[in-house]
Amino acid sequence: MHTAKRTRSNALRLGALAGTAALVLTGCLSENSAQGGGDGGDDPIRIGISLPLTGDFSEPGKGVGRGYEAWAEYVNSQGGLLGRQVKLTILDDQSNADRVAADYEKLINSDGVDLVFGPFSTRLVVPAAQVAKDYGMLFVEPAGAAEEVFTQGFDNLFYAAPAVADDHYNHLAEKILSMPEGQRPKTAAYAAMDDPFAQGTAYGLKQKLEEGGIRTVVDEVYPPNTTDFGSIAAKIADSNADIVVGGTQYQDAVNLIVALRQLDYQPKLAAFSTAPTNPEFPKAIGQQTEGILSPTGYTPEAPYPSNKEFVEFYTEQHGSPPTEDEANAWTTGQVVAAAVEAVGCADPDPECQGKLIDWLRNNEVDTVVGPLSWDEAGRPQGAHLIQQYVDGKIRIVLPEDAKEAEFIYPKPAW
Amino acid sequence: MTGSLLLQSLVLGVLLGGLYALLAAGLTLYFGVMRVVMIAHSAFLILAAYLAWFFTRQTGLDPMLSLLFTVPLFFGIGVLMQRLLISRLRPATLTMMSVLLTFSIALLIEGVLGFAFTGTHRRIRLPYSGAHLEFFGASIAVVKLIAFGLAALSLAGLYILLKRTRFGQALRATMQHREAAQLVGINTDRVAGFGFGLGLATAAIGGTALALDSTIYPSLHWHWIGPLMAIIVVGGLGSVPGAAIAAMALGLGQSLLQIPLGTTWAQTFFYLALFATLMLRPQGFFGGRLAQRF
Repeated sequence: MHTAKRTRSNALRLGALAGTAALVLTGCLSENSAQGGGDGGDDPIRIGISLPLTGDFSEPGKGVGRGYEAWAEYVNSQGGLLGRQVKLTILDDQSNADRVAADYEKLINSDGVDLVFGPFSTRLVVPAAQVAKDYGMLFVEPAGAAEEVFTQGFDNLFYAAPAVADDHYNHLAEKILSMPEGQRPKTAAYAAMDDPFAQGTAYGLKQKLEEGGIRTVVDEVYPPNTTDFGSIAAKIADSNADIVVGGTQYQDAVNLIVALRQLDYQPKLAAFSTAPTNPEFPKAIGQQTEGILSPTGYTPEAPYPSNKEFVEFYTEQHGSPPTEDEANAWTTGQVVAAAVEAVGCADPDPECQGKLIDWLRNNEVDTVVGPLSWDEAGRPQGAHLIQQYVDGKIRIVLPEDAKEAEFIYPKPAW
Repeated sequence: MTGSLLLQSLVLGVLLGGLYALLAAGLTLYFGVMRVVMIAHSAFLILAAYLAWFFTRQTGLDPMLSLLFTVPLFFGIGVLMQRLLISRLRPATLTMMSVLLTFSIALLIEGVLGFAFTGTHRRIRLPYSGAHLEFFGASIAVVKLIAFGLAALSLAGLYILLKRTRFGQALRATMQHREAAQLVGINTDRVAGFGFGLGLATAAIGGTALALDSTIYPSLHWHWIGPLMAIIVVGGLGSVPGAAIAAMALGLGQSLLQIPLGTTWAQTFFYLALFATLMLRPQGFFGGRLAQRF
């Protein structure tokens, strides 16, 4: 009996220990071998990046990775930056906020990269930006849109997309509030992942709708590792809210939509961030995507001049047009490249990095998502397009001047 | 809180508890038979889920049909794994070393899945994924009901196998006292191998049930192993009925607590139950005499 007890408690203790040890181990294994320094005129410009290639954000993380790589190839095929080739070093942070800080520390400190690009998603951008700030490096990032990114006092950060998370749904909020009294929804249910970006999008809309008199009947926050959405769906279905808004990444939106359908909840409007723009989404949901809304910072159809080149180059490379993740990565490349070309330097020296930062602070850059400029904290000054599934295809429906299809309301049953 | 929400949560909790019981059944078997802590169990669940998804994508047939080959396949892998790997560990440090060994197997499976199918989140698209039955105003999703049915069938089968057959007697004898079992002529090595295979066969069924109603990706197993370990500790390591009752209690508790507390705090219920069990009744609440032997 006594030996027995000891064996079991040992087993449990060892389980925890093994977990920690394995995390450390896998971390070491994923590192690439460091490269020597040396800054000759013809040396490539080395750019350090850490991305969530595995773990919770692996899906969008890989998209961003494809965008960065496509951008680097494109730049190199055009003769490089300042006449130097561009070389990317991409590490995998496993969607882990501790690993991402260690990765950038390593990239800047021991690999001695010339420039850094940001990772995917707010949870990883904040610790990464802190490391870059400590070394005085310019930090342009493709996917850290939540308000908390811009309130940490980062003076080196720029978000390379049209709008911050809270403003993603601005066009939709306007549209809903401008509906005639009889049609306008009266109640709303919100479910958001406990993630600053996902929550930011939903709460940005929530704030505007509440100000407009639309009552919040469910406000549910769930951790990123949630596997069962039945209970959240039950709460939403029980409230019978007119509209449902999901502050989601990917799998949570898919699981929540299926759970809502299983409870036969039929809202007049359903909006989810990120997930619906993913090509895997219609494969998972099937015919029931009709009418689902999503904000998007990018569409391949956008008329901006550099976007055409981007879509052509990317489609030729990958056989399919780019999505928002690839576009945001490409935009990050464009923004940094514009600063490098204007200032005429690309090295880790704080003086050069400081010039790059100052240049971006005071200039507008033409990108694949349109002209971008930033405020003091690095917030881009714009709003997102609103897309909706119409006849099985995702189309821009808002704002009016950019629409490809008519806004559907109320949403057909799913 | 309305009455209909309470009833709906009860229904969801029972269905969830059934799924938990199925997913945890194998874990308690490995520990019962061999005192092996099988960290890779949830990785095998995800592997089975991927095989079901792949089967449906390639053939267009219902994922349940994939059970016809995944169950024997997993049984075989289980037997081989026990005979070739687990049995090589020194008996004195078996429990500890099995954590490391199966941890590496979990990483291996995750890596192979990522390599073969990429990290893209997948979901089996079923024509009946949103279908549901009405039950006094609460709805019961057909896919969740199927998963529950699979759980009930497998657990009942496992129980009958353990209690009513000669192999079951030999397996339980091996659990209770290995040397004594050998003395009465039981080939404990073979029984242990089959026991392990049986555990993995439940993973094949559990993984397929999981794939019916969830989005899968290679690293998903890390989200499952913690709650499953909590279930078998609360249920009493080694006891299949104990694991089933604990799974049902924790599933129901989680589902009901979610109404007043929200999702984040409802999740901690599992770990509070784990701490309470270890403090008050370390042999588990339902383990009884069998579990006390370890």
